[in-house]
Amino acid sequence: MSAESTPAIVVDGVVKTYGGVRALKGVDLTIPAGTVEALVGANGAGKSTLIGVLTGRVAATEGTVTIGGVQPKPGEPTASRAAGLVAIYQELTIVPGLSAEDNVFLGMTPSSAGVVRGREIHRRYLELCSRLGVRIDGRQMARRLSVADQQILEIMRALVAEAKIILLDEPTAALSDTERVALVRLVKELRSQGVTMIFVSHNLEEVLDVADHVTVLRDGRVVQQGPVAEWDRTRIVDEMLGEAGGLVKAELAGDVDENGVDTSVTVHERRDDQPLIATGISLPGLLYDIAIDVRPGEIVGLGGLVGSGRTTLLRCLAGLEPKSTGTLRIGGSEVRWPKTPRAALDAGVALIPEDRKNQGLVLGMTAAENIAIARYSKVATAGVMSTAQLKARTAELVTEFGFDPARLGAKAGTLSGGNQQKLLLARWRFLAPKILLADEPTRGVDVGAKEEILKALRRFAADGIGVIIASSELEEVSAVADRIIVLRDGRAVDELIRGTDPVHVDAILAAAFGEGHHDKEATGA
Amino acid sequence: MPETNLADSATVALNRPEQPVEPRSAKKVAAHIFLHFGMVWVLILVIIGAQIIYPGFLDPGNLSQILSQNAPLGIIAVGMTMVMIAGGFDLSVGAIYAATAVLYADMANKLPLPAAVLIALILGLAMGLVNGLLVTKLKVNAFVATLGTSSVFGGGAYIYSQSTPIVVNKEGFEELGLGSFLGVPNATWLFIVVFILGAFILSRTVYGKSLYAIGGNQEAARLAGIRVDRLRIITYTVVGICSAIGGLIIASRVGVGQADLGGTIALDSIAVVVIGGTSLFGGEGAMWRTGIGLLIIACITNVSDSIGLDTNSQAVMKGAIIVFAVALDAYSRRRNG
Repeated sequence: MSAESTPAIVVDGVVKTYGGVRALKGVDLTIPAGTVEALVGANGAGKSTLIGVLTGRVAATEGTVTIGGVQPKPGEPTASRAAGLVAIYQELTIVPGLSAEDNVFLGMTPSSAGVVRGREIHRRYLELCSRLGVRIDGRQMARRLSVADQQILEIMRALVAEAKIILLDEPTAALSDTERVALVRLVKELRSQGVTMIFVSHNLEEVLDVADHVTVLRDGRVVQQGPVAEWDRTRIVDEMLGEAGGLVKAELAGDVDENGVDTSVTVHERRDDQPLIATGISLPGLLYDIAIDVRPGEIVGLGGLVGSGRTTLLRCLAGLEPKSTGTLRIGGSEVRWPKTPRAALDAGVALIPEDRKNQGLVLGMTAAENIAIARYSKVATAGVMSTAQLKARTAELVTEFGFDPARLGAKAGTLSGGNQQKLLLARWRFLAPKILLADEPTRGVDVGAKEEILKALRRFAADGIGVIIASSELEEVSAVADRIIVLRDGRAVDELIRGTDPVHVDAILAAAFGEGHHDKEATGA
Repeated sequence: MPETNLADSATVALNRPEQPVEPRSAKKVAAHIFLHFGMVWVLILVIIGAQIIYPGFLDPGNLSQILSQNAPLGIIAVGMTMVMIAGGFDLSVGAIYAATAVLYADMANKLPLPAAVLIALILGLAMGLVNGLLVTKLKVNAFVATLGTSSVFGGGAYIYSQSTPIVVNKEGFEELGLGSFLGVPNATWLFIVVFILGAFILSRTVYGKSLYAIGGNQEAARLAGIRVDRLRIITYTVVGICSAIGGLIIASRVGVGQADLGGTIALDSIAVVVIGGTSLFGGEGAMWRTGIGLLIIACITNVSDSIGLDTNSQAVMKGAIIVFAVALDAYSRRRNG
């Protein structure tokens, strides 16, 4: 840990532009060798782009990255790796069918004349384990190991590759509490051995626990950096949100006073026959006893960080998690907890899935066919499809969403993201469910389409359909939802009601990070 | 077009600009026709070549024989087309074909013919149902599941027949395979009926459209409320029944039920479907394509037989054509993105 030696990483004036929009607006960052740098920022702050630039997956538009005194060729991951930076992502690259130790030496297997030196692998693996204070049976198949152990194997692999800097991207997001502790302990152990690390995490406690130095990104810039002693949770959250946190974008929601409280609110009464009442929603290990209800004309937003259970909750309601349990009342009558998507649809619950291309659309089929797919029999007589009916019905539906009926014959795969999403909206107009769940409805669509989609969701709600929306763009949730249920680690931890509570991004984030103004404690077991 | 406006950073990477409706160049049109109707040209070439090599090829008698001879293969291929468009695969059709032929022959000796027909059809249905359940409910890979059941069904046929041909001495038994109606062989009639029915179901019905959706994107189809498992099970059941019809025809034609009748018919039926241009990965294809594929294979077989080409050379040729067809499929997919 010689302070006078060359810094591990120097980022100098890095700008990254995507089609005219600057994702990074001049980032400077120096990481001394042997320290742990924490990189924090809200979604869209530019963290992912910066990680991409560091690891060489993204070529910077301007500026340079120097790793260990050399400048790897931009845009070439292998060059960054060769310079000594190894990144470990949430999606692990463990080969499940190989043993733990073989995974650690993958790609660097000691061998003589092509024959693997198994004994050497085992010896070096044990050395590594004792150096790190790790106890994982090296002969165990990787698939039998926990996610945390697999992650540790990745870190060991990085060490075998003689990484000088290890970048950990959300390393604990997928881990249980005890696994988290083990991983944090390993990071600390590595730090004490002088390994330089970049630690990217939403979990601020961890950040404060392991980092030497914290850098906060916001809106493509470094807004604040300093030694860990200068930070606490509240300050990090404040810096992450900046002034923008207080300004709610409420074009869609109506008037907002200076405290962020909506003044033009309709009060939604709780009634027995309201569109949806679901209680006790649980999924082992993921969701714990969540209750959610949607009142007539209301849009409910789900807030929370990545991994908090937003998507899982919607999947449970849509019948995509057969192992989930709960009780469900729709429009005042009890229905069986759905175990298949078809059962959910028959009960009146429809989902706009998160992954439009893989879960939403049949890309090789036409736009019209993708709309009618929800119930082809509605455009058929005695099982025989009517092309005329298909055209007429779908043309009538899509105009509402600003989709040109002339494009109904185009294959869904050739349409833009916004138009694809409009097909899914039209699909559920076609089927007319009682509940519409929308998971990331505006992901990857342009601004104009985004507005049209949110307005369409409003119209669904106005027509008496219960709408629940989950989005990682919290501004969007806060703009469109009448009420926000904030999830943290699979539990509903807060409820923000427009009209009585400030419904904006920092309120959601504060609750999501565990600093909510209500901060009801977890209700379930 | 509003989509060309790339105002938002997040859209840049994710939005593919929509393909403008531009006037196509002649070259592009030619490429389109070649890729989409390529096998029609191949069929025309095959017919011209066949006539040159074997001058009797276009005789009405020969043409009629081509169809009736290949009726069992064609009927099985109709069912196979539905299985494959839904993203499935069935290697056991040859075994079902042989097993139903054996059972039909045996039953024909013991029961009235209609009862024997019914029993054989039910056997085909049941075997297809087993395949469908294995593939959907137990989630066994279709290739492995039907490879396994092929061995089970085929082996069962040998055990049942004690590895000896079951000779049928019943009046009218040969009618299905050798008789004719209005001058057209009964087997050809059966093929035509099954083919048209299959084409209609696939192109015009809710069921057919749903099969395309399942083959195109099974998860999206499921989320849209299509009962994916049920519909896929039906495809395997249908190909089972088609195989049984094929089995009835062949048993009737040769007058015996024999466990080794299956031969290469499973692979041939898959070849017919694929050569026509129906995708191996599901979601794309059509019944008329299977018709083209069948005619290509049938014409080549017919000419090879007439000029006395040995079966080994025929196998080499057939294999080469299959590889060519699949390569063309892969190429056109790449081109169309």
